[in-house]
Amino acid sequence: MLDDLFSPASIAIIGASRDENKIGNVILRNLVSSGFPGRIYPVNPSYPEIMDLKCYPSVKDIGDPTTIAVIVLPARVVPQTVEDCISAGVKFLIIISGGFAETGPEGKKLSDRILSLIRNSRTRLIGPNTVGLYLPYSNINTTLTSYSRVSFPPPGNIGFISQSGALGLLTMDAISEYGIGISAFINLGNRLDVDETEFLDFFESDSRTGSVAIYMESVADGRAFYERIRRFNSRKPLVILKAGRTAQSAVAASLHTGAMASNDSIFDGMLSQAGSVRAYDETELVDYARVLAYSKLMTGNRIAVLTTAGGVGVISTDYISDSRGIKPLQMARLSENTKDQIRKVIVPYGSAENPIDLTADGSVSDYDRVLEILMRDDDVDAILVYALPQTPKMDMGVVDVVEKHMKAGKPIVVGVLGYKIAKQLLVEFERRKIPAYPSVNRSVKSLGALYGYSAFRRVRQ
Amino acid sequence: MKGKISEMMPIERNPDEYAVKRMISAYGIPTPKSVLVDSGEREMELEFPVVVKVSDPKILHKSEVGGVTIGIRDQKQLAEEVSQMKARFPGSGILVEEMENGGLEIIAGLVNDRNFGNVIMLGMGGIYTELYHDVVFRLTPISRTDAEDMIDSVKIRVFEKGFRGIRVEREAIIDLLLKLSLISEDIGSDLDMLDLNPVIVNGDQISAVDAKLILKELA
Repeated sequence: MLDDLFSPASIAIIGASRDENKIGNVILRNLVSSGFPGRIYPVNPSYPEIMDLKCYPSVKDIGDPTTIAVIVLPARVVPQTVEDCISAGVKFLIIISGGFAETGPEGKKLSDRILSLIRNSRTRLIGPNTVGLYLPYSNINTTLTSYSRVSFPPPGNIGFISQSGALGLLTMDAISEYGIGISAFINLGNRLDVDETEFLDFFESDSRTGSVAIYMESVADGRAFYERIRRFNSRKPLVILKAGRTAQSAVAASLHTGAMASNDSIFDGMLSQAGSVRAYDETELVDYARVLAYSKLMTGNRIAVLTTAGGVGVISTDYISDSRGIKPLQMARLSENTKDQIRKVIVPYGSAENPIDLTADGSVSDYDRVLEILMRDDDVDAILVYALPQTPKMDMGVVDVVEKHMKAGKPIVVGVLGYKIAKQLLVEFERRKIPAYPSVNRSVKSLGALYGYSAFRRVRQ
Repeated sequence: MKGKISEMMPIERNPDEYAVKRMISAYGIPTPKSVLVDSGEREMELEFPVVVKVSDPKILHKSEVGGVTIGIRDQKQLAEEVSQMKARFPGSGILVEEMENGGLEIIAGLVNDRNFGNVIMLGMGGIYTELYHDVVFRLTPISRTDAEDMIDSVKIRVFEKGFRGIRVEREAIIDLLLKLSLISEDIGSDLDMLDLNPVIVNGDQISAVDAKLILKELA
């Protein structure tokens, strides 16, 4: 259904502007800058051309079937424009404009009018009140924030749906710094027509999408949403950041069960039941989506930790042993055979016990040998590897070593501390689709997310 | 199970405790041995100690209004308590129940959520339920795996290994949850809320000591 949205032949910007302070200008510039290979049609009766592109007085004057029309006009004229687009055979409308149901009864009327037009047509609508879409594989950027304010991530494997436009844009900006890629960014705005579930259908069959991350504040039909995400999770992982945790149930309840049935406690149970990993902020949302998109499933919860710094190993042990929830992690108990083999690799004052500490003497080739040993130990389900750049023996070569073992064997999550060289390491790990995190806590929690989802899949296969 | 028990045994829209307990025991959820005073069932033998309770759909929180007396040890004390209870609550039903020996108090319940439909809850029961908020929800119907996950989500799991002399068997609680899920499906959207609080669990023995059901008002 949404396939044409991801590979449009042409895009019209209705309300395109020459004024650089206007959103109609930013969107046109973003679309041109993103390198969209199809035809771009600015629409505005005031200009003959904008940015060297021929400008049309109305969508009806384009005379070429338009796949997507982005509407950036005042709310009151939008219904007429929608009608024009429908008669011109536009397949998808993206209404950026606000001023609809979110503002009151007048806006609601406009909104209802648009909905009835859409329902009686073959045109589909995203929005209104959306910041737009960013589809890196299609070189499409219809968002309303300029490249001078935020960066947009490269093509990647995470489908990103956000009910908040601003949170979505800023999160994309933040992850771009590490080269973390996405397969699409969707802000649905008021969800008048197209909602999350249709994008889930798309992402489920899209081979480039390995996992989906959703930021949401509300869901229209809870039961239907549950059924949909449960089916989705049985094929691909879906991480959800649900806001409004502290809001209490609106219903006054006379029994205990009712009194404790806050909206969030039910939502939380529903997410577990449907196999979705829950994130509690925007950092966790992307952290979990990455580990789930890049890793194989874990067959158990026993973690081996490999480090060159004792303190980092001890903190990791604390976090792993203290992990909570239905599916907690635990430290792997290495077999005697494994420990004997590790002792042959490491210096005498290192530790062959889990957490395995190679000390500052640990080199990239030592890591290679120890990882080989751990991959063969059946009592280890996944490995937390620290790439710590403070010693000269730990160089960028560690990325190759981790990549080799991760491809061949069990899941690996990498922790990288520091900044100067650590930043380069993080970027390089990301480029190879190896989940790497700049803190102990984030590394362990991401492993926990991977295990939680793996346990769901193991039971439901 | 053939047909819905809730249909075979229609319960009034606002059932009293006795009716709710008969309904859940028809689904196989154990309840204490009990007798409704003046109902003609007096020949049933109860073992002391017993509890005397007012059974009236209008009185949801019995203990707050003096509607529960526990630890009655003999026939004389029982006769006195029953007549006092009758005087306190004229026109209400009076229930005499065997007292459960100590065990773990848990809460299990159902509630109809506007957005998600019927949901099931499990948690630590008793008077501190709402203070600790150690509860977990799932949408019904639930699978066995869902029931297991529910137990693992709350402190009840600690009592599987035993704690301060109290030990519970997981299978008993799974069974309770699956039966409650069936009740949820049978009642469907007529359900408003159902509370089993406390349910006393001791090893593989389980008993719903109190049960309250509210069905939706028919508009």
